[in-house]
Amino acid sequence: MGQIDNELFKRLSDAVVDMDEDEAIAAANEVVERGIDAYQAIEKGLSAGMERAGQFFDEEEYFIPELLMCSDAMYAGMDVLKPHLRSDGAAEKHKVVIGVVEGDTHDIGKNLVKIMLETSGFDVTDLGRDIPPARFVETAKEIGANIIALSTLMTTTMDGMGAVVRQLSEEGIRDRFKVIVGGGPISQGFADRIGADGYAVNAADAIRLARALVAPAEAAA
Amino acid sequence: MSLSPKERLLDTLGKKKVDRPPVVCTGGMMNAAIVDVMNRTGHTLPEGHFRSDLMAELATDVNHDTGFENFGIPFCMTVEAEVLGSEIDFGTLACEPKIAREPFVSNAQVQFRDIDRMLDSGRIGQVAEAALLLSRSNPDVPVIGSITGPVSTAASIVDPMIFLKELHKKREDSHRVLDYVSDFLISFARLLVDGGASAICIGDPTATGEILGPRLFQEYAVTYLNKVIDGIHATGVPVLVHICGEMKAVKPSIPQLHSDAISTDAFVNLKLLKEEYPQLTTMGNLSTFLLELGEPDKVSRHTAGLVRDGIDIISPACGLSTASSIRNIQAMTQTVKDGGRGW
Repeated sequence: MGQIDNELFKRLSDAVVDMDEDEAIAAANEVVERGIDAYQAIEKGLSAGMERAGQFFDEEEYFIPELLMCSDAMYAGMDVLKPHLRSDGAAEKHKVVIGVVEGDTHDIGKNLVKIMLETSGFDVTDLGRDIPPARFVETAKEIGANIIALSTLMTTTMDGMGAVVRQLSEEGIRDRFKVIVGGGPISQGFADRIGADGYAVNAADAIRLARALVAPAEAAA
Repeated sequence: MSLSPKERLLDTLGKKKVDRPPVVCTGGMMNAAIVDVMNRTGHTLPEGHFRSDLMAELATDVNHDTGFENFGIPFCMTVEAEVLGSEIDFGTLACEPKIAREPFVSNAQVQFRDIDRMLDSGRIGQVAEAALLLSRSNPDVPVIGSITGPVSTAASIVDPMIFLKELHKKREDSHRVLDYVSDFLISFARLLVDGGASAICIGDPTATGEILGPRLFQEYAVTYLNKVIDGIHATGVPVLVHICGEMKAVKPSIPQLHSDAISTDAFVNLKLLKEEYPQLTTMGNLSTFLLELGEPDKVSRHTAGLVRDGIDIISPACGLSTASSIRNIQAMTQTVKDGGRGW
């Protein structure tokens, strides 16, 4: 790989960390003009930048507004690069169904997790907010999801998370999906009680959890 | 002679010495209209969100059944956003109203409407009327009028994801929207005070250190909370502010708030906060999980701990689950009234 490639990847990565949409677009256009592999540019440039941004978030250098702006820069670059992806280049992605459980319309946390999952190479289906348990299950079956990710900010709606797990068990398909939960009132203890596969305290943690949960399946396959 | 609940609360907020801390639940974000109370009395939500008489009756039921030493109205955080143009889902008996759709996709698009005209619309008049009914029927019990804070109100009328980004990207637009929202909140709070509210509580769950980080919290939350607080202070009533979430990132900003008391979430150690900033009047912060899922004796023990730590006003730490039991809440309020002796 040439020095120019690496420099461009670095520019893409920096544009994301610096929340600079215009620079992300400019660097992505240069990648295209020079015929550099778009998949690599996404992975080593945009995603790497998002990973650094996530680290800043973890370290409380960045907060939610900053992370959202980083992701805007990332998506802006992605829009330029996507049409140039060679379809055989990317491996089959792990699929996630994500949404805010019924009764709750707070979706900032869910949106962050979605963004971080996408930048980490997951294929994410976002159902939105105020979603009844059955829709999570239906969609997960429909798309063959690996992970069902549930979010809520309200104590009154936490039971909807348990309802998803119960429905999976009743239908005898509990072991086909990993269920992960998060949000203000959620704790590891709560996740254990309802029989979820994992709990994440924030968006960065959710990515680590999702990766860990799909990893053994890969090893077995 | 013992103090009336209103005297005790106002004396506490005025930093005067009192016999024991008040135990209150402010309404609004900390709505105490739990299912058990509504089922017993038949004064129910969502109907109670719309009618002043029902709102006052339900607030009276809550005061009677739970032992909280105040009336707390309204029972939701959507009165302001509704008037400012948001679509509201009014919820059910057990589920609080929420924003169904924000009308504006950007701070630049917010239409500034005439504040006096807005005060005549939505449920504003009903809430003010309920304050009046309550303050007249029970002059010894403080009516706490609860309002939604400026950052949360703004994030309830503008798509919150865009709103948060524009706090960085479009500072001028953001300040203009927050200024407008703050002016409206001051006018709403003044109506509640005219109706007889003894104190105003501001809950601003979007304005947390975890969401905004220290810089934006200082630039927006502190600025506009103080604007609203100052506007309410001009009417002569005290103001309580509840800060959600983990406070570490914004702790140095907290003493800069002009409020008469600071309420925090359960994981903030109020005793340590008080040691660090002795000038603060602290309020809180009994875990709402404990209130929902714990047993009365444990609730009592934890409450006694707060009293022992010298917390000035005892209150739930955040929004109560509507499934919390009366028994647990009574364990909390009775323990405070017994002088902080745990069961």
